[in-house]
Amino acid sequence: MHSARTLGASLAALTLGLIAPGVRSSALAADNEVTISHYFTGDLGRDAITKIFGTFEQGSGVKVVDTPTGHEDFKAAILVMAAGRNLPDVFSYWAGARTAFVVDSGALQPIDDLYQSAKLDAIIPASIVKGATLYGGKHYLVPFGYHYAGLFYNKKVLAKAGVTEPRTWADLLAACKKLKAAGVAPIALGSKNRWPAQFWFDYLLLRTAGPDYRAKLMAGQASYTDPQVQKAMKMWKELVDAGYFAKNPNADDWTDAADKVMKGEAGMTLMGTWITGYWDGLKQKPGEDYDFYEFPVIDAKVPKAAVGPVDGLVISANAKNPDGARKLLAFLVQDTASQAAWAKAQGALSPNIKVDPSGYSPVMRRALEVVSNAKAFAFNYDLATTPPAAEVGLSMFAEFMNDPSGYPALLKRTQEQVAAVIKK
Amino acid sequence: MGRSLGWWRVALLALPLGVYGAFVVWPLLSSFAYSATNWNGFRLSFDLVGFDNFRALAKDPLFAGAMRNTLIWTVAAILVPNGLGFLLALGLERGVKGASFLKSVFYMPVCLSAVVVGQIWIWIYRPDWGALNGLLAAVGFPQGERAWLAEPGSALFAIIAAWSWQQAGLSMVIYLSGLTNVPHELLEAAALDGAGYWRRLRHVILPMLKPATIVVVALSVINSLKGFDIVYIMTGGGPFHASDTLAVLMYDESFKRYRMGYGAAISVVLFLITLAVITVYFRQLRKLEELTA
Repeated sequence: MHSARTLGASLAALTLGLIAPGVRSSALAADNEVTISHYFTGDLGRDAITKIFGTFEQGSGVKVVDTPTGHEDFKAAILVMAAGRNLPDVFSYWAGARTAFVVDSGALQPIDDLYQSAKLDAIIPASIVKGATLYGGKHYLVPFGYHYAGLFYNKKVLAKAGVTEPRTWADLLAACKKLKAAGVAPIALGSKNRWPAQFWFDYLLLRTAGPDYRAKLMAGQASYTDPQVQKAMKMWKELVDAGYFAKNPNADDWTDAADKVMKGEAGMTLMGTWITGYWDGLKQKPGEDYDFYEFPVIDAKVPKAAVGPVDGLVISANAKNPDGARKLLAFLVQDTASQAAWAKAQGALSPNIKVDPSGYSPVMRRALEVVSNAKAFAFNYDLATTPPAAEVGLSMFAEFMNDPSGYPALLKRTQEQVAAVIKK
Repeated sequence: MGRSLGWWRVALLALPLGVYGAFVVWPLLSSFAYSATNWNGFRLSFDLVGFDNFRALAKDPLFAGAMRNTLIWTVAAILVPNGLGFLLALGLERGVKGASFLKSVFYMPVCLSAVVVGQIWIWIYRPDWGALNGLLAAVGFPQGERAWLAEPGSALFAIIAAWSWQQAGLSMVIYLSGLTNVPHELLEAAALDGAGYWRRLRHVILPMLKPATIVVVALSVINSLKGFDIVYIMTGGGPFHASDTLAVLMYDESFKRYRMGYGAAISVVLFLITLAVITVYFRQLRKLEELTA
């Protein structure tokens, strides 16, 4: 009987013992640790970010407790943490409608104090400060890197087919015709995960209806059945109908499309600058093996916009170590060596104007130039409209790529579904 | 002594019951509660919306599609892997050479995780260099080639085929154990009475396999209702929702569209369907036990 009681007590102690270490470590965490969750894994810069955190730890004495999660899974992982009231001090997030959504939910804290004390407005271009960091008039996000989407192409393949830079829509059609005649799929697209198709919609709409109209559509103040959207989709359909896209786009990932261009099976792909990080990793030479064209001008009266995402870092409202989190954020954007290393590793552009562009590859230097000269910088579709609406649109793009013939009905259905979920 | 046994019970049950309560019962009850809210996952507060989520589900074409796909999957789950498993068991029971080796081979897919199975079949289904299209071309039927997972007409069935390939081994093992329970005397007696193989199968073996059939059918139905991981890996419910199951839609609504309340409502529907199936299953089992008792 005695031993039975002892056993019972030991089991109880064991149960408590399993819980206790967790309690202790989280109590200690607040002082000299910053917890961070991010999607910079594998090809997207895992090694580089670990080194950068190491430099920060040495300089500040603050320990970075790092939880990386793959890009696609991150979207769910961060929500699980939020739902469990267990957000890390800092997490990476996409600037634009997604961050706005989290700000609206009250899960982030404003960091105007940090922008003031670290004078971040002086090192981040005004267009990015305005477009990516301010929500409801307050700063919430520190940009860590940004990207630009362009028509990335295989230099040898295009040269062989006699293609020169397409500056107009007619030029692009002619280029595709030449490539097809040369036995190469003119355009590769890997829309299995849907988002890679969005850049076609973005640029076609931005180049025909302009950034202001597009902003309205993204905010739910215009309709997918409007003639502007119909026109963009009709032009997209022209390309599909002419057989200019490589076969079965919905069966491929963006990396499959990148591989097709690299191997010369396809001529070009409309993709973000992270493709340079991917290709460089496969020993492709920027400027020699590959390069990019800007998306051609369709209507000369429409101001030229550049499309891309901004990777940001935010501080959660209930951060245990808000001071440490601020130190980390300031370091990550201010430290030019880290910013340069990061841009190189990820194929990103630095949001810090003090980073010397001579460290970029010739292709990335041109991307920087294009973005700097653009009249507007627009977030890609899934960062420009609210997450529930983006889900509807992304599926629409994949459905369109499968069969574009009934696009007016598709747009009508999209409008109905978007109207049901978008917050006006 | 009685008291000490009480201590034992409490001590031994505390941990598993605590875990079960915290990780099964509590989330289950929470799902019911959240299904009556418009919680978005990030916000700390939410509004009670009563049955609004369920009313919206009734009109949601995506939900109708996912429901239809889950139903197709459930019917296929009863017929395909169990039919295959049954045939394999019958074949291997009859003393084929190397039967034990073959049993291991057919059972092996069961040991693989859904991620591995999904990836293997993604390769098989690749439109450009996949084995299936290669095979079709090799046998002179290139017009049958397609992007199996990327076309809305074939995606769901392609996933079900991959899933059945994995499940068949499990059904086979259960049927094999059922077959060993068929008394030899009975088969011999039937043979002496002049019953051929088919009649023995129809009138002796099949009735004796009823318990095994109840088990494999119930397992298949429950596994098909849970169908998430392999879909998520192979198509993510795509292309454009063509292969959505209830479980995948629940995940998408909750984590991609930030509609936790709506996702919870789908999970409640899924729970009720599963509950109904399990109730029928246990009833059948009890009937069977009463019969054999």
